[in-house]
Amino acid sequence: MVLTCLGLEGTAHSFGAGVVTSEGEVLANVWDMLSPKEGGIHPREASRHHSELGPGLIAQALQNAGLSPAEIDLIAFSRGPGLGPCLRTTATMARAIALTLSVPLVGVNHCVAHVEIGCLESGFQDPVTVYVSGGNTQIIAFAGGRYRTFGETLDIAIGNMLDTFGRAVGMRFPAGPIVEREAKSGKRFYPLPYSVKGMDLSYSGMLTAAKRLFNEGVSLEDLCFSLQETAFGMLAEIAERAIAHTKKRELLLTGGVARNNRLTEILEGVAERHDAQFHRVSPSLAGDQGAMIAWTGILQYQAGDRLDIPSSHVLPKWRTDEQDIVWRSDL
Amino acid sequence: MSEIWALGAESVITRTERWGRPLIVKTRVKKPYLHPEIDEALRRQRTARECRMLSFARSLGVPTPAVYAVDRSTYSITMDLIDGKQLKEFANDMPDSRLETMCFEFGRLLGLLHRGKVVHGDPTTSNVIVDNRGKLWIVDFGLAEWNATIEMMGVDLHLVRRALETTHWDRQTLMLKATIEGYSSIMGNETEEVLSRMDEIRERGRYH
Repeated sequence: MVLTCLGLEGTAHSFGAGVVTSEGEVLANVWDMLSPKEGGIHPREASRHHSELGPGLIAQALQNAGLSPAEIDLIAFSRGPGLGPCLRTTATMARAIALTLSVPLVGVNHCVAHVEIGCLESGFQDPVTVYVSGGNTQIIAFAGGRYRTFGETLDIAIGNMLDTFGRAVGMRFPAGPIVEREAKSGKRFYPLPYSVKGMDLSYSGMLTAAKRLFNEGVSLEDLCFSLQETAFGMLAEIAERAIAHTKKRELLLTGGVARNNRLTEILEGVAERHDAQFHRVSPSLAGDQGAMIAWTGILQYQAGDRLDIPSSHVLPKWRTDEQDIVWRSDL
Repeated sequence: MSEIWALGAESVITRTERWGRPLIVKTRVKKPYLHPEIDEALRRQRTARECRMLSFARSLGVPTPAVYAVDRSTYSITMDLIDGKQLKEFANDMPDSRLETMCFEFGRLLGLLHRGKVVHGDPTTSNVIVDNRGKLWIVDFGLAEWNATIEMMGVDLHLVRRALETTHWDRQTLMLKATIEGYSSIMGNETEEVLSRMDEIRERGRYH
């Protein structure tokens, strides 16, 4: 029997609703991102955004899928990790729908979902995943029954670094695409602090240096160019360490920053050097959205995983390696 | 004559023989996908750093391969071949007591580095070689740094724990405990401060 799952994503500034079948078909995937006019994301404002727009987005997803609520077999929601208020708002919606429709509820790990939707799209079996977004910079791979974080940022995420730099030089949020565009006209390379520690990295030093160079009058194009080359070079190095260490043969790039073409080009080079296949998750499945939650919910449900409402509390600090990946027990 | 021995993340290692002795040549090869200035700087700095660090670590009492030659035009280092296996490779098949002894020694060597104000920078079980007589050697000093602060030592231990979690998940508790015991046998009272920094570092990069 084909199952249809409604997945709700709301760990940070985006709320998304997606409908996916157990055959891996994405029937609908809609989302909205809160973009603050200035400053960063306030958790309470983001959760208000989710509660105001959530119901409409869910209705929209069902309409795009051409389904009535009664045709949904399963509800999945992003249980963590993320901002507490956002997670709770999203979980409340998921519980309400599950109770109203009398369908099972599944709690999904946001980071695991990014990897699984990437595997669905690419057909990869067992990749090293580079997951880069506003809030996350992680190298994830499957080992010993769990997804494990082989490397991550020691301070700020790459998207956060780009946005903070962008804000300092007067760019809109999110700054990543603007930095990429400016970088295309950059000619001169300015060395910035390059900080790799084992399979971890750190971006705060280069951020401080880049802001200082901007204030000293270095052209924005050159600075964006140098920023990208340095930040992505560091990512390439830790991805390469993870491939060399795990000996895996697939490299997956996902998360909002996966949209960047220069990053993609660099990681393609890394994959080639190690005879690995490479895939960049397409933009509609790379950012935070509900389809990845729905698909991972199906995988979990089919492996016998479901959540009772009373014990469906959110897990803001849910580590990637805390969940037994039961649906991959054969690997 | 040389044969490819291993393809590392940042180097190609070939095996060679000179003066009737088996040696390895570690070459930091060009990476066309990086910006040439970054690539060049990394290859140059890390070759120089590794070379000096291998000798300096030995002066601190940490067994490291002896360096015979450095070629600054190809960014390669010729050094002793340590005849043995990576700790990573056989940690999973070792009886508990032996593994504890090995990890205690690994921690002790790390403690010697830290007491000498040096961090290794990539202290995984891939970079520990156990030779035929059971002696531990530390290799791969390309990311090592001098003038280590508590923060840098905390990062080093964080990387140890990370490596044990991702690679030795079923024996990580035993391994971490023994490693820290070995570490504190050298670092004494300073151990606590580094350990609490290690815990703090783990939480920092996460979005919550």
